[in-house]
Amino acid sequence: YKHRIQVEILDAKTREKLCFLDKVEPQATIAEIKNLFTKTRESKECHNEHDHSFGQGPLDGTRSCARSCQAEGCDTILPTDPQWYPARQSLRLDPKGKSLKDEDVLQKLPVGTTATLYFRDLGAQISWVTVFLTEYAGPLFIYLLFYFRVPFIYGHKYDFTSSRHTVVHLACTCHSLHYVKRLLETLFVHRFSHGTMPLRNIFKNCTYYWGFAAWMAYYINHPLYTPPTYGAQQVKLALAIFVICQLGNFSIHMALRDLRPAGSKTRKIPYPTKNPFTWLFLLVSCPNYTYEVGSWIGFAIMTQCLPVALFSLVGFTQMTIWAKGKHRSYLKEFRDYPPLRMPIIPFLL
Amino acid sequence: MAAAAATAATKGNGAGGGRVGAGEAAGTRKKKGPGPLATAYLVIYNVVMTAGWLVIAVGLVRAYLAKGSYHSLYYSIEKPLKFFQTGALLEILHCAIGIVPSSVVLTSFQVMSRVFLIWAVTHSVKEVQSEDSVLLFVIAWTITEIIRYSFYTFSLLNHLPYLIKWARYTLFIVLYPMGVSGELLTIYAALPFVRQAGLYSISLPNKYNFSFDYHAFLILVMISYIPIFPQLYFHMIHQRRKILSHTEEHKKFE
Repeated sequence: YKHRIQVEILDAKTREKLCFLDKVEPQATIAEIKNLFTKTRESKECHNEHDHSFGQGPLDGTRSCARSCQAEGCDTILPTDPQWYPARQSLRLDPKGKSLKDEDVLQKLPVGTTATLYFRDLGAQISWVTVFLTEYAGPLFIYLLFYFRVPFIYGHKYDFTSSRHTVVHLACTCHSLHYVKRLLETLFVHRFSHGTMPLRNIFKNCTYYWGFAAWMAYYINHPLYTPPTYGAQQVKLALAIFVICQLGNFSIHMALRDLRPAGSKTRKIPYPTKNPFTWLFLLVSCPNYTYEVGSWIGFAIMTQCLPVALFSLVGFTQMTIWAKGKHRSYLKEFRDYPPLRMPIIPFLL
Repeated sequence: MAAAAATAATKGNGAGGGRVGAGEAAGTRKKKGPGPLATAYLVIYNVVMTAGWLVIAVGLVRAYLAKGSYHSLYYSIEKPLKFFQTGALLEILHCAIGIVPSSVVLTSFQVMSRVFLIWAVTHSVKEVQSEDSVLLFVIAWTITEIIRYSFYTFSLLNHLPYLIKWARYTLFIVLYPMGVSGELLTIYAALPFVRQAGLYSISLPNKYNFSFDYHAFLILVMISYIPIFPQLYFHMIHQRRKILSHTEEHKKFE
């Protein structure tokens, strides 16, 4: 015998009653409730069959949805309401608590016959793939503008000239291949566990990636560029570091892809495979970040350019934060997690 | 980099303004403040800073009376001004170690912008020191800081006179724009000298493949006031409404 559960959804900030779902299956997941919530909000287009009366005020609990038309059978929402599609919604048991996961099942939550959920609008959402593509296409394109010395950058007499230093051309190849690799990986390799992120992230991330790319490219392709102090030897060493780290980074991304079957959200501990580049998994939780930082260090040595070094440092800081987070969640999730592993740098950090 | 607001907008220094007001009105004590040792230290720090800025205020008045003119008063208070404004760097440390519940990033930004103005502009460009604009921000800072540090001191001792609370959340209405004007005019006055001397600038070619144009940087700093100033100013207006209205209601009930 199934007891149906009543679900009421309140605004986490104002405690205003947003929605009341009568008779929800106990096996319903949070994702399904979000869908129901969206539907109740969408079906509120009124069809002009009567005059709307908005007089009762938002706290009239007898109505299914607050701020809606008070006429019988009509739930027209005030026109200011945004479109709350499921990815925008965060539902919680406590107004200030953690968001419930989409996979959580209603029955298994500490609720009685009536579940009160608190809603927060996460703002406009955008898919990860879109964000990644914009983030990476920018630097690729911007760098080339500086490489080809398009007008209005270095002064008229340098327009479309080419640098006499070999390292400048090599650097452009490395930089471009790096971002082409990232773009292709975004399209064909990565599997994203979270479908979306807030829209404002794209502005933040693009400012970071595009801005740094322009800043670095400006100096590397500058007519007054000074080549590396130790000449060809330094460039060769740097190129070796760069190439090894790029291969390593790619290997890790492939290994992580193979770990998670398409469409699933399961998490497993990643282990080294036959590919020697993945053996770094013995020592760190996020070798993809280790290799990424390594690539940028290689690029900084190759170009001997201070802004590149700064970009590596900022990137390293950010990736360390991510790696620590991921490391912590691995430790929390798996009791048998290899104790030797550190988040990003073997034995150190 | 709106340095005048600087510290005016920081939430707290041992005893946050907002928290004191709200706590009193709700009849509850603050949950966790600094420990007794930290409180003692903070009281000493704030007393010393209040005294320091009082020294600057007295110095200004005495120099004015002695000279009979308000031009170039900067030289008479240069040393204590540098010392006590630099001493504000400790506030960042207080936030970092958690004895003051303000954001480290916000506090650093505010304190650093003032320290920047004192050392990287006024100290570094001798030609601007006799400008009246310097005096404009120095006076605004001095009054703000005397009130702010005494506000913290009294708050820490749990005896905050209403007058000080009122002054802290009222005088900024005039002092903040005054300080900002002084700062902007001073930076503006420094621009030609910075360009002429190539001060703190690095040019290509060099083996680090990096250049820095301090002149352009200062212009960027000036532009950055445009979005920041109104934001901080209205934040303070909002705080004022919140905190002072709380107190008035509270008084009525008594």
